[in-house]
Amino acid sequence: MRDRRIAARRPIPRPEGPDTEPASFRDPAGFVFRREGVIHRQVQAAGAADWQAFLASGLYERLVADQLIVDHEEVSLELAARPDAAAVIRPRPIGFISYPYEWCFSQLKEAALLTLEVQSRALDAGMRLKDASAYNVQFDGGAPILIDSLSFEPAEPTEPWTAYRQFCEHFLAPLALIAHRDARCGLMLRDFIDGVPLDLAVRLLPGRTWLNLGLASHLHLHAGAQARAARTAPSEGSQARPARRVSATGQRAVLDSLRRTVAGLRWSPTGHWAGYATTTSYSEAATASKAEIVGEMLAAIGGSSVWDLGANTGVYSQLAADRGYRVIAWDQDAGSVEAHWRAGRGGANVEILPLVLDLSNPSPSLGWGLEERPSFLERGTPDVILALALVHHLAIGNNVPLARVAELFARMAPRAIVEFVPKEDPMTGHLLSARRDIFTDYTIEGFRAAFGTAFSIERETRVADSTRTLFQLERRDS
Amino acid sequence: MPFAYIDPGSGSMLLQVILAGALAVPFFLRRTITDTWHRIRGGHDARPSDSSEETDSPT
Repeated sequence: MRDRRIAARRPIPRPEGPDTEPASFRDPAGFVFRREGVIHRQVQAAGAADWQAFLASGLYERLVADQLIVDHEEVSLELAARPDAAAVIRPRPIGFISYPYEWCFSQLKEAALLTLEVQSRALDAGMRLKDASAYNVQFDGGAPILIDSLSFEPAEPTEPWTAYRQFCEHFLAPLALIAHRDARCGLMLRDFIDGVPLDLAVRLLPGRTWLNLGLASHLHLHAGAQARAARTAPSEGSQARPARRVSATGQRAVLDSLRRTVAGLRWSPTGHWAGYATTTSYSEAATASKAEIVGEMLAAIGGSSVWDLGANTGVYSQLAADRGYRVIAWDQDAGSVEAHWRAGRGGANVEILPLVLDLSNPSPSLGWGLEERPSFLERGTPDVILALALVHHLAIGNNVPLARVAELFARMAPRAIVEFVPKEDPMTGHLLSARRDIFTDYTIEGFRAAFGTAFSIERETRVADSTRTLFQLERRDS
Repeated sequence: MPFAYIDPGSGSMLLQVILAGALAVPFFLRRTITDTWHRIRGGHDARPSDSSEETDSPT
């Protein structure tokens, strides 16, 4: 048993070298690696011609000018991970890498529209996107941006878009499912790492989506075309077939149709949580007191990054951002994240990134060798976590013992601000109203004992005009 | 056509050719009408709608 565990943990040797990013193996044109912790991208001989064409086309400058692609600097070939490099670039680092299954509807929609915009600009320059992966988009400074500088190749305007299928699977299918079926369909991207299969998407979509010309074409007919192609014998396939052509106008027409279809999809949160902040049992005095205490605790802690767990629509994320923190605002409810994202979309604060995450079953490691998409715990360590009005949901709503909650928090960050909501509080009372109270340790003494193992309690302050208490915690090893 | 490193899917490529044929004429007409409309109204940018994004207004 022990031997097997050791074997499982042995790092997988990678042909590109030890520091290559595990997600960077599909495209032979190049790969991403880290040098002293800093992200670099190596262009291989196989991608050299496309890379030169991309730079020569002037497309890069235009995309950078409009903040559609991450900018980079070209660095010496001596910094290559392997000797056969054609070029090495150092892209501007992105604050936090998030994945499509953590995005709300509008984030996925904006990423889709960005991809189409980039493809449109690329066609203008005699190039095209050779892939349309949602993983090539990240959120930076409150807006989506393309991070894969090696995604371009020269193309005739009459060649059909090879990434059309991938665009429909990565973007259009999940967006349509959220808009026309259920917001939780966004989580399907966790199971289907290369996009939602179209045959599955059309089985789940309501029949009325046939009436939407774009969805009928790009999803329903598309799934039918795939099924028909799959039935065709391989001998009739690729070998003798002449290359298919479209007119340049037709190419633009398909792109325009995709854009209109995506832009026409709408979803509005109607959930319980999105209205939670306005329906809490707090008095105004309690709200003011809580904000004041959290502000003081943040000031005492310092640091520069916050993960706000159970952020809801982001009242306390904003409080942290106002004090200069970069904030990742996690919430399990797609509706809350949607409301939070839209509220920040006016440019109110670009230092907050709202994302969907269920702490009781967070984003796992996914993909090839379970290394392609790291779990949320492996993607960064904030200076401090905020867990306000959260622990009672984990401890009572999910039956997680307080000690386990403390253990997870200690794995996540060296410091934490945690709110304890006792059973006497109406919100906790509501969680207990329809069930037997098996939570004998769920008391403030129990909280102190559970969190006191991993953390030292730096400060403990009762919120005025309420039953709640805020704890400022510091991990014992830090 | 150069081989794509992702699988474009033969059904997807065929559908695209069909859609490109079907959508080209309405697209061309709409673009012409939009261009003309903007020219009549004296706009300098003849085709602003071609690449602009429609964004949701916050609710």
